[in-house]
Amino acid sequence: MPVDVAMPILVVDDYKTMIRIIRNLLKQLGFEHVDEAADGSEALKKMREKKYGLIISDWNMEPMTGYELLKEVRADTQLSKTPFIMVTAESKTENVVAAKKAGVNNYIVKPFNAQTLKSKIDAVFGE
Amino acid sequence: MTSARSARNKRVARSKLARDKAATYSKVASLAEVTADSLEAVLDKIDSEVFSELRQIANHIETLRREIATLQPGKMHRVSIPAAGVELDAIVSATESASNTILECAEQIMATDARDAKRYKAFVEDRMLKVFEACSFQDLTGQRIARVVDTLKQIEARVARFAKAARAEGSSRPRPPARGATNSQEAIDRIIGAGMSRRPPR
Repeated sequence: MPVDVAMPILVVDDYKTMIRIIRNLLKQLGFEHVDEAADGSEALKKMREKKYGLIISDWNMEPMTGYELLKEVRADTQLSKTPFIMVTAESKTENVVAAKKAGVNNYIVKPFNAQTLKSKIDAVFGE
Repeated sequence: MTSARSARNKRVARSKLARDKAATYSKVASLAEVTADSLEAVLDKIDSEVFSELRQIANHIETLRREIATLQPGKMHRVSIPAAGVELDAIVSATESASNTILECAEQIMATDARDAKRYKAFVEDRMLKVFEACSFQDLTGQRIARVVDTLKQIEARVARFAKAARAEGSSRPRPPARGATNSQEAIDRIIGAGMSRRPPR
């Protein structure tokens, strides 16, 4: 299935700079419809208001982490099918395994480049 | 005759001296007894005060000994401080690498021939993408700095507690630092890739 560059993407990160970087990288990859949230709870609220084609989330955020957001999303019947990519500096094996068990679609460790982001998005959508 | 008188005088003198000595010893003994009696109460009080002081010093040494154990100086030396050093080294390295990348991109853009507008635009966009990527160091260094700050706060808390026990000034609140082995993107891909579904779980 080709990646729909028109799909809305929600980027979740408490670092404004990182949101800006991901937004610009996505723009370079052709994705124009990018929304942002500063933590898991804000993301969850936005996801319940609007249907997103992809969630790209950091792990370490307060009050709700990206991992908690992932579990909430997978537990919600309305949201459970939303593709979810974790983009984080948490590269410990236990984190990766926990995210995988919780249903993450892909996992990117910071720092990353546009090519890595593209390849993971492509992988999630089966390209 | 003279000799006999002289000998008698000597005997009298010795006898007198012996009587005087006996009187002196008796007086000294008596005075010593009185002095000892009068000092007994004072000495008893001094004994009690000295004992009390020594007891307090012993208690204080015991408290300090416990606080030194709580400081965990070995753990600080072996784990916390070296880990903070590794984080700071990584911050220096990431900052240097990002700065170099950004400077190189800027230099390349400045040096590029701009007469072919289409080619120039593509080149600038490519270099800007590299600048965006390089800027992600800020997020990572922020997290690393947070870990170093955590370590410093933990040390500060322990030292403050020790200082308080040692009756010096200081106080703080302890927080545990983040620890753990890390993986590269390739290693993470292997973990994720093993049996990874491309679709979210149903």
